[in-house]
Amino acid sequence: MLVTFYLNNTQVSYDVRPDEYLSHTLRSHGIKSVKVGCNESTCGSCTLLVDDKPVMSCSVLTASIEGKHVTTVEGIQEEAAKIAYHFAEEGADQCGFCNAGYALVVYALKREIKNPTEEQIIDYIVGNLCRCSGLQSQLNAIKAYLKEE
Amino acid sequence: MKVNEYYRASSLEDAYQKLLASPKNAIIAGGLWMKKMGQSYETLIDLSNLGLDKIEDKKDEVVVGALATQRDFENSKVVSFLYAGAPAFAVREVMGVNFRNIATIGGSIMGRYPFSDVITGLLPYDVKLEFYPAQKMSLEEYLNYKGRLNAILVAVHIKKIEGKGYFKKVKTTALDFPIVNIAVAKVAGEYRVVVGARPMVAAKAYKAMEYLNNGAKDFTKAAELAVEELSFMDNKDASKEYRVDLAKVYVRRGLEEVSK
Repeated sequence: MLVTFYLNNTQVSYDVRPDEYLSHTLRSHGIKSVKVGCNESTCGSCTLLVDDKPVMSCSVLTASIEGKHVTTVEGIQEEAAKIAYHFAEEGADQCGFCNAGYALVVYALKREIKNPTEEQIIDYIVGNLCRCSGLQSQLNAIKAYLKEE
Repeated sequence: MKVNEYYRASSLEDAYQKLLASPKNAIIAGGLWMKKMGQSYETLIDLSNLGLDKIEDKKDEVVVGALATQRDFENSKVVSFLYAGAPAFAVREVMGVNFRNIATIGGSIMGRYPFSDVITGLLPYDVKLEFYPAQKMSLEEYLNYKGRLNAILVAVHIKKIEGKGYFKKVKTTALDFPIVNIAVAKVAGEYRVVVGARPMVAAKAYKAMEYLNNGAKDFTKAAELAVEELSFMDNKDASKEYRVDLAKVYVRRGLEEVSK
């Protein structure tokens, strides 16, 4: 079936199976920044934005996003660079597998909640797991990024 | 999960006819548990064009569209005022934001999942489910309904009554299923006690409620009555005995909290 949506503000139409998930569709069209970790709606590595809201793309059927706006890390390059800087400064960046998902969820957090408390930050990022660094360094990096402006 | 056709319904009647057309057709809400179960479907019926994602503040009730996401629910101002925020808090305990932006309130209820925080969190209150074709039943009636209901959940009606709620999910890690979950409320002066994930779908503890609503004040005794009445089981996450011990403590704490 043909599904048309906006990928980083560019209209695209892909022929997909009715049971195909968005992470698979995007990766098969060269968007390899979308990582698939657990593929069980848990780890958050595949996070991207659909209509500005972070979702796990391994669990969203491509057929369901007709006409919607999908944002991957390629669509937020300037903000992703700032987030990456703070991740590097705090040593939060190790194997890098979770980074793209983190960048998108942190970007969404900044847009959704003004001046979030630490509890709100943790609640927002709890669905993005990092197996390298223990999450404290991510929390420090996110706080530094949110203080930037 | 295998699917042969993805169908966007143009109306509730259109969706209903499609649902009746084959036992292998199903309504898709968030679709998260469908993925986990890995079943095969002839047709998945998508209701997203039907405006079922609204949360409306009516005079005596809050009407939550079946396709409102868990995140919509927890962020809703009108929901946050219900029962001191306890139902919203219960939903916030489910996984992460990127999960709750997919999972819907309707899907969470229709599945009658034994691990559900949404069902436990709503069961103490006066909650009615609105279906198509026109039919209403309480959340508790639906939980006790035998077999598959061939109807489409349209909205969840939560009555606005003065009261206070408490919710506790016991879990081993932030993203885990509950070992047990407890919801306690005092609504219009009446105590309500619910225990879920035993590991069975949530149920009310009627003997404890009757004891308290007849004027008794011993919350420890009420908690004991609750665990005596409800059945608990072992599974890989916890033993029956551990669940009983947890439920006793948190029912008592919940009663103390809502009685303040």
